[in-house]
Amino acid sequence: MLTKNDLTRYERQILYADFGEEGQKRLKQSHVVVAGLGGLGCSASLYLTCTGVGHVTLIDCDRVELSNLNRQVLHYEEDIGEGKPISAARKLAKLNSSIEVTPVFRKITERNAREIIKGANLVIDGMDNFKTRFILNKACVAEGIPFIHGGVHGLFGEVTTILPGRTPCLACIFPEVPQRKVSLPVFGVTPALIAILQVTEAIKLLAGFGSLLTGKMLYFSGDTMDFTFRNLVKNQNCKVCGTKDV
Amino acid sequence: MSIKVKLHPILQKLAGGQEVVEVTGHTTGECLENLESRFPVIKQMIRDNRGQLRRYCEILVNSESTYPKELTTPVKDGDQIDIVIFVTGG
Ligand SMILES: [Zn+2]
Repeated sequence: MLTKNDLTRYERQILYADFGEEGQKRLKQSHVVVAGLGGLGCSASLYLTCTGVGHVTLIDCDRVELSNLNRQVLHYEEDIGEGKPISAARKLAKLNSSIEVTPVFRKITERNAREIIKGANLVIDGMDNFKTRFILNKACVAEGIPFIHGGVHGLFGEVTTILPGRTPCLACIFPEVPQRKVSLPVFGVTPALIAILQVTEAIKLLAGFGSLLTGKMLYFSGDTMDFTFRNLVKNQNCKVCGTKDV
Repeated sequence: MSIKVKLHPILQKLAGGQEVVEVTGHTTGECLENLESRFPVIKQMIRDNRGQLRRYCEILVNSESTYPKELTTPVKDGDQIDIVIFVTGG
């Protein structure tokens, strides 16, 4: 049920015909997990919060560092040393006190991933490494929860929406988890843009309108300003989703 | 014998902006070597120090995964090889 306050706060998006009050109600009833509060996760959770998703869970195990501040826009100088989910949740609670924001200062592992995401309507990939992305991908497939993948490198970014059982998953494309954790080049604008695209997918998916980036990867190349697509094909031998029907 | 290699956008910059490069070879490995001989910087990006394909690269032939035979899958005239790179940053 939308309150009078909700109708005012979200007035401009409710005017969007395909969305309307019904779409707003659906967002209000939704629970989204943002995995990672770095460049992608900060911008994603900011827009999930202002658009009125009823419950946003923020999970990360890192603390804010000075070198994060070129892109992780929910963390300020005064937050250096603070756990990222705590820092982010404090800002988001001020932005929108009518929704629930749950910070979880914890590392996502193979053992706890399913429990962390259980019951969520979707998971936003804001991770900064392969390993946890693949853990989340597997957990989302197991729980049947949509997973909106985003990744960035320099001025390049990619996004795709994974619907378990219906679309290829990350492991269909990359059967072995790459082992690499190094500092990559990145401008703040790249994760911001990719995160906004992830949230655009989230809004449509939760409210039930429009078409999604399913079965295809959207690539953004910032140095040439090209947006291109690649069709993704399900791998029947996929270790994660191969036993389910396409 | 002509095989098309479709480059991931990150690699296109290393190949003078080309999206598709025509190469020759009987296997995916031979085709990649042909590509790398013309664009050595691509080799640095997709192979490790021992010449193994980096794990964040996947090789598709006609949109099908070649895993675990990324470098030994046979190809024929008209086939398309895709080099896909998984970006890790967030
Ligand atoms: Zn899969």
